[in-house]
This record gives sequence, structure tokens and C-alpha cells, in this order.
Amino acid sequence: MEYLLTRLDDKISSLNKTSKKALVAYLVAGDPDLNSTLELMHEFVNAGVDILEIGVPFTDPIAEGPIIQAAHDRALKNNTSLTDIFWLVEKFRKDNTETPIILMGYMNTFLANSHAFTEAHCSGSDAVLIVDVPGESNLEELGIKNKNLASISLIAPTTSEDRIAKICNSSSGFIYYVTLRGVTGSSHLNIDEAEKNINFIKSQTSLPVFAGFGIKTPEDASNLSKISDGIVIGSTLVEMIHNQSDQKEFKKIYNYLHEMSKAINR
Amino acid sequence: MDDLTNLPNSDGFFGEYGGKFVPETLMHALQELDETYSELKNNPEFIQEIDQDLIQFVGRPSPLYFAQRLTDHYSGPQIWLKREDLNHTGAHKINNTVGQILLAKAMGKKRIIAETGAGQHGVATATVAARLGLECHIYMGAADVERQSLNVYRIKLLGAKVHAVDSGTATLKDALNEAMRDWVTNIEDTYYIIGSVTGPHPYPMIVRDFNAVVGRELRKQSLEQFMQYPDAIVACVGGGSNAMGIFYPFLKETNVELIGVEAAGSGLMSGKHAAPLNDGEPGILHGAKSYLMQDKNGQVIDTHSISAGLDYPGVGPEHSNLKDSGRANYIAVDDEEVLRSFHLVTKLEGIMPALETAHAFAALEHIAKNYKATQHLVINVSGRGDKDINTVATMDGISLD
Repeated sequence: MEYLLTRLDDKISSLNKTSKKALVAYLVAGDPDLNSTLELMHEFVNAGVDILEIGVPFTDPIAEGPIIQAAHDRALKNNTSLTDIFWLVEKFRKDNTETPIILMGYMNTFLANSHAFTEAHCSGSDAVLIVDVPGESNLEELGIKNKNLASISLIAPTTSEDRIAKICNSSSGFIYYVTLRGVTGSSHLNIDEAEKNINFIKSQTSLPVFAGFGIKTPEDASNLSKISDGIVIGSTLVEMIHNQSDQKEFKKIYNYLHEMSKAINR
Repeated sequence: MDDLTNLPNSDGFFGEYGGKFVPETLMHALQELDETYSELKNNPEFIQEIDQDLIQFVGRPSPLYFAQRLTDHYSGPQIWLKREDLNHTGAHKINNTVGQILLAKAMGKKRIIAETGAGQHGVATATVAARLGLECHIYMGAADVERQSLNVYRIKLLGAKVHAVDSGTATLKDALNEAMRDWVTNIEDTYYIIGSVTGPHPYPMIVRDFNAVVGRELRKQSLEQFMQYPDAIVACVGGGSNAMGIFYPFLKETNVELIGVEAAGSGLMSGKHAAPLNDGEPGILHGAKSYLMQDKNGQVIDTHSISAGLDYPGVGPEHSNLKDSGRANYIAVDDEEVLRSFHLVTKLEGIMPALETAHAFAALEHIAKNYKATQHLVINVSGRGDKDINTVATMDGISLD
């Protein structure tokens, strides 16, 4: 199946041209509520975020640490569904047609809607990352891989070299390198190991490699950006959003993102 | 009918069910486990070591016992009991942990983790870990810690640490989530002993194979004791390991009827139950595709059962395939029927079944009338009921304090 280039590929080539690193920001749709998520998405972009990664809440998110788990639970309490998320993206696209959007979630929520991947594309998403579907699975049969959506796969420190080659072959968009053994939000960053592994991945593919899991401080961001093409921030943002969600005063978060954006392009 | 005995395929699928739906970090460990198991399962020394443990440590073979008074009570088939309740630690769960701990040893893992619902698998895991002097952590839903306090104490006595899990519904499903997160984090030195025929490949196959000793013994015992294979085999199904263990060696004997019994909780119509094969849809949870209790958005829904061991929204993928292929039938009985059956079997036979197992007995109310007095029906008595005394007393409105 031929994959057509998406907004995500356009963004990546424009970052390449200007030798800039990508800042990817994760947030859970519907936490604290969908309208706040929409506002946060726009403000994230204003603060320097290049790519948005939207967490699709699931009852049993086994790759997530306590912070993101709790956010999934809150979003589900608000009955946030995949259909709501399609609506959210469509609404976002009315004011922003450039920033790529990745839907990140677990297979069962996509399986429940037989047109999930078509609707994801039609409502304005550019890529999907299904955490519990390993990269060499039959992505076409599952509907994940199609001509309109990039399929992002994870590569972990424990991924063997022969599997890295297979995963690279079936991926599009970029490769998401998991910087640590553990769930999201852990703190066991090992820069040396990450560098070695990212270099190996790069020997196998021309796709850019972004690093994520466990990135908290501008220093983490700066260190990892030197060895990768971009970074993904998740748990720290989700925690900040939650802490501010009563007042819905998110300015602190935008300042943080602005700093992270500066840190990776120093 | 296709040959159901040489499944799963190399990707871990039983028909359309099973597979490896896990975060990337776990893939290497699963591959490593698959390779180790493939290598060892036909190794004569490994087989001998397991056999010796099953005989000397577990107390196998478990007897096949004729339940005279239960047979008289129902006036249906001759009812026979496969006595897994007599195993060391009181349930079939030890068959699996005795095998998996040897895999852990072969792989050089120093730290053992497991999830548990009723606590039987936790006890069985803590037992084999104690025997080999390995560090052991048991994840258990906070609600189950409460209702299975006796087993929690047993696990602690055996030197393992119990982690009460508060997230989600605080039952078996959430204990599994937490155990998987532990495994992702400590992948290098940790072996995860999954307690049922659930989870990603190769677990459903490994757990089935280690429990299949039950069905193999039954093949021999039934020929010796009543000169034929059983006409029907009945077993309770949560994740489905005791059922798979006794069904598997009979899959090719198509005249042996296989009946799985799920937990109907407050009733199938109430929605408050744990019967995905009776009232669920295929979905993906904990690494495998299988029938699942879920809402229209693909969110896993809360389950309910009087029995902590069956209180789980999913089921082993091989059962889903047996259901679709028609080789096995799956029915469900509710909490009240189970409690009545618990009392009936205890009084008539002097055998106190676990509440999980009491589901298999309760099925007799529905199916016994379908059989003639010349026919033989075997119930897999998967575990004993000592652990459930508090629950039963509470249900009966009796205070033990």
C-alpha cells in the first residue's frame, strides 16, 4: 500500500531544512475537559510545540505510569470517546491546518469503531501510535497502516537489532525511541545507552528518531536533543495540566514549553 | 473440524484470538521466553524435573473420585470429581507455578512477580519462589486483599510481598495491569509468572501445557475406573486455566463434551457479571485478543462475581477459539446458584469447593438432566474452599468474630 505524505512529513522536512529539532507535546484528550484540551493544543503550538500527540483514554493503559493513568481515568469520567476526539481535532483544524496531530492510544478503543482509522484521517489527524501493537505486526490488516495516516512505532532499549530493522521498515513519519525501561513518567534516563541505540536505528532508516519517556527538565531535553531529531514530553505536562485544572490557568505550562523548545535548539 | 491441538501458531494465534499486543519493551522478553520454552519443553531432563516436582512436591496424581451422593441427588449421569483441591496449596494453580519457576531458573531470573485474584495463584507462586529462595512480589486488587485476607496472610508467611492495587476496579484486572508495569520496569532481572491462560503469547500456551497434566491423568484414570473417556467434562472459567488444562488433552476426542462455566454474578441480564464468552465481544486486553466485557467505545467494563478468581473481564484466547469453533460450550451461573451449590456439595460429599469451583458444580442444576445414568460426567474440582469461609459466612449473614 502506498503511503501518501502527510502534514507530519511536511513538518519534519521543514524542521530539517532549518536544522531544528522537533518538540512533541502529549496531553490526554478530555482532561480536565475537551474545551480545555482544545485551548491547550492551540497554546502549546504558540509556545513552540511542533507536533501534538493526543492521548486517547483507555481503562487499562498498561504502558503508563501513575500520572498518565490518572489522566486517562479523569478523561473517562468525562465520557471522552474516540468520536469526541475526532470532533476535537476537527475543531482544532478550523484554526490550525499546519500542526501535525498524532493519536496515541491502545488498540481496543480503535477496534471498537470499524471506521476508526478512516475517521481519524478525515477529521484531521496525521498519524497513529498504538502502544500495544508492536511495530512488526500486520499493521495493514489491523487497519493501522493506510495511505493517509503515518504509523508511528516504538523502539525500546530492549528491542533486538533484527526487530529494529523490521520495525523501521513498516514505520512511517518518525521512529519513537523509548529512552528507558519502564512506564511513562519514570526517571531512569540513560543518555549513553540512548545515544548508542539511536545511532543504530539511524543506520537502519532515513526516518527521523524522536526520544521520549522520562524527559522532565530542560537539561534532559537538551541532552537528548543532541543525539536525536526531537523529543516528546508527556507526564510532566499532564501533571502540570492537572495541577492547574481547577483555575484553568495554564500560563506556567506555556512558559515551561517555551523553555523546553529553547533547550532543544540551543 | 480443524485440528485444534496444534495451536497456537508461531505468532501466538488460536484462530483469530491471542497474539502479542504489548508495549514494545516487553517484546524481547516474550521472545526470549518463547525460545526458552520451545527448547526446554521436549528436553528429557526438564520434563523429568517437573514430573518429579509434581509427584513429590505437589502430590500428583490427583484422584478421580466417584461422587455417589451427588449422583443420587441429581439422578442424572454418574458424577466424578477430579480432585485438584487436594494438591499442595489447595488448587490447580501450583501445576503452572512449579513449571514456570523452572523456566525462570533456566533464564537466570532472580526476581519473581505475579498477579492474583482469589490469592490461590499468589500462594502458589510465593510457594515455589520460597522453595528456590527467590525474591517474590504479588500484585492483588485492594478489593481482593480485603475479601481473601486469609490467602494474603499465607502469601506473606511464605516471604513474598503483597502489593495492594487501588487503581481502576481494584480487582484482578488491575492487579494484572500493575504486574505488567512492574515487568516493563524491571524487565532484565524479573520473571512474570502469569497465573492463567491469558496474557500475550507464549503465556496462554505455557500455562495450558503445564496444567494439561490434569487432562492427561484423567484420560488414564477414566479408562481405568470406568472403562471409557468421560461423556462430559465441566470446569469453571475465569481466565480459564483449570478448564484449559483438563480440556486440552480431550480436544481430539470429539465425543467428549466440554463445558465451561462462567460467572453470571448478579445475573447475565443485570450486566453485573464476569461472563465475556456469554455476553462479551472480541477485544484486546492484557496482550491478547479474546472475548471481553466492554462498552461500545471499547472501554473495559466493571465485572462482578462472588468469586474473586473469576472476577475478570477477559478470558484466555484459546477458549474464545473453542467457543467459535463449537468444540466447547460455555454457560454461566449466578452468585445465588453458586452459594447454594457450595452448601450442597459440602454437605453431600464432605468436600468444600472454592467459590470458583462451585460454579462448575452449580452447572449441574442445568445440565445433569441431559445425561443418562450410564453416562459419566467429570467435574474439575479446581480448588478447595477454606479461603472462602469469610465470604460465605457474610453472604449467609453469619458473623465469625
